[in-house]
Amino acid sequence: MKSFTTFIAASLALSVSAWTQTVSHGEALPLSAKSTEVRQLLNQAWILDSDQVEQAQAIEVMRKVVRLDPTFAMGHEILAQISLDPAEQVSEQKQALANRGYANASEQIVIDWFQNAADHKLIPAITNMNDALHQYPRDRWLVFLANSWLMAQTQYERAATVYEHSGITDSPGLINNAAYTYANMRQFSKAYALMDKYVALMPQDPNPQDSYAEILRMAGHYTIAIDHYKVALTINPQFYSSQFGIADTYLLMGDETRARQEYDAAFKKFPSLPELDCIRWKTRQATTYVYEKDFPGADKAFQSLADYAHAKHLSQVEADAYRQMAMYQSDNHQAMALLTKAESALRDGANVSVINAHQETAQILRTRVQVAIRAGNSLAADTAAAKLAELSLNSDDKVIDSAFNGAVGAHLFYEHKYKQAIPHLEEDDNSPLSLKLLAAAYQTTGYFAGAKRTQETLANFNDPSVEQALVVPALRKCLANPTCNVGMKDAALQIKH
Amino acid sequence: MIVVPCLLHGKQLAVVTDTANPTTNLSAAELIKLFNAHIHTWADGRPVLIVVRDPASADMDLVLRKLFNMTPGQARVFIEAHKPSIIVAGSDDAVLRFVATNRGAVGIVDLYSLTKNVNVVKIDGKLPVEQGYLLRGN
Repeated sequence: MKSFTTFIAASLALSVSAWTQTVSHGEALPLSAKSTEVRQLLNQAWILDSDQVEQAQAIEVMRKVVRLDPTFAMGHEILAQISLDPAEQVSEQKQALANRGYANASEQIVIDWFQNAADHKLIPAITNMNDALHQYPRDRWLVFLANSWLMAQTQYERAATVYEHSGITDSPGLINNAAYTYANMRQFSKAYALMDKYVALMPQDPNPQDSYAEILRMAGHYTIAIDHYKVALTINPQFYSSQFGIADTYLLMGDETRARQEYDAAFKKFPSLPELDCIRWKTRQATTYVYEKDFPGADKAFQSLADYAHAKHLSQVEADAYRQMAMYQSDNHQAMALLTKAESALRDGANVSVINAHQETAQILRTRVQVAIRAGNSLAADTAAAKLAELSLNSDDKVIDSAFNGAVGAHLFYEHKYKQAIPHLEEDDNSPLSLKLLAAAYQTTGYFAGAKRTQETLANFNDPSVEQALVVPALRKCLANPTCNVGMKDAALQIKH
Repeated sequence: MIVVPCLLHGKQLAVVTDTANPTTNLSAAELIKLFNAHIHTWADGRPVLIVVRDPASADMDLVLRKLFNMTPGQARVFIEAHKPSIIVAGSDDAVLRFVATNRGAVGIVDLYSLTKNVNVVKIDGKLPVEQGYLLRGN
């Protein structure tokens, strides 16, 4: 599964706010929607998607928009960006491009931005985005799109700059996004100030409380986070993400038993979740056993997830369940057998797009490299790394490239080629496994500030994943022990090895 | 609710010139000489004007570490000694504006700030989006 979101929550603003800076066009990006009804629906979609984070409802509204106005290219583009269905994302992007000729010049720049991004032409995509922002720096939906896209690219500083330049201070959706931007930059005082504002603007909506909880959790304030989740549920008992948020928080607190109880209660309370949400939380429930080092329990839970995915013909989910099982196995033969199962599941190719299949293949190969290194089997590591290199060379995809760099970086690290490993590990900065090696490589090569910063980042990781379970709890324990120097210890161990 | 990871921020920096500059590629050694003020003119004879962010900024930390093995303090002294051929700008937008409007200017910006008003120069034949590009890191 991808380690970051593949969708961008888009939104719409048709109102005109007062500003006087010199830009070449008007304030709001002009939209070529044909009717008043469509414009009203766009505004409704904005509120649902950005302010209330009711994505399913927003998507329904946007589907209505493109039914009413089928040549409205920006309508298709927005639907492509907010859809949670990979097939719809692809088909709507095609529709946006097919109807580009009906769009005005500004809309065409936005369509080109996302088409270039979809085609992995990153530099033209960036210049398109900045071109649109230069013309309409205060258009709230454009700012929201840019902020969301940059967040998905983990470009938080640029996302913050775009928000700050916009000068928009009264849009709940933008405030919510900006708070997450600052939280990811670990500027929590700014994030909390924005959250206070978001809560004040929408006191009767559960999402501000849910977001506040998640940001507090990112900062490690677990107990207060749970309080905010509970407030969200008081406002709307059907806001299921808060119910599962409580379970996730107990998991991160290290109370795996309570976390499982909360997951069970949440699944019982919400038996018909959207499929992707259901799988996400089933995966986290299985992960509780990995945190607990109850590996037979983890095997049982992940196998159950794989069986569920198989029954539902979700090949990528099934493959990823087997891949995650392989990661924590102490028996390398068993790990390799599970990876073979993962590849077999993926070959079935049910309900998986080509790009998602390639990304999953990359993750499996990366895990193959790691297991081979662990087993001291250089030949198997080289073979998997070579396949991964070929995939990476032909893809220009961030997920695949990260997997490749993580694998190569680990391989070089274990050959004690620390300087050569560093640039590769730096390219895989979403992975706790790579960050752990990166901190040790920095330390060994004398870049102590980098080692310290990387360790701090790792210690503050709050992503309930198998990767985190395998790295972060042990690191936190070590950092809390004054006699334990993680970087030096790791480096020394590797040199000895 | 919004789903985001909590991460170190991978940076990609772009070397940019004005759009009239015919240079499309520099070797890492040429880039270092250029920013060390050892190269004073471009191939077409125009004087080199260097514009950089404050040495204490995160982007410049990466540049100083990867290219010059200098501390921010050393970089400040170096810049002071090479005025006016090296200029410090307060933001990426300011770097881009300066480069776009001054023939012979060269600067370094965050890849995600790029505009169509400047050229991106390859380093050792690689663009910032390519694997093995020099100015990538944390």
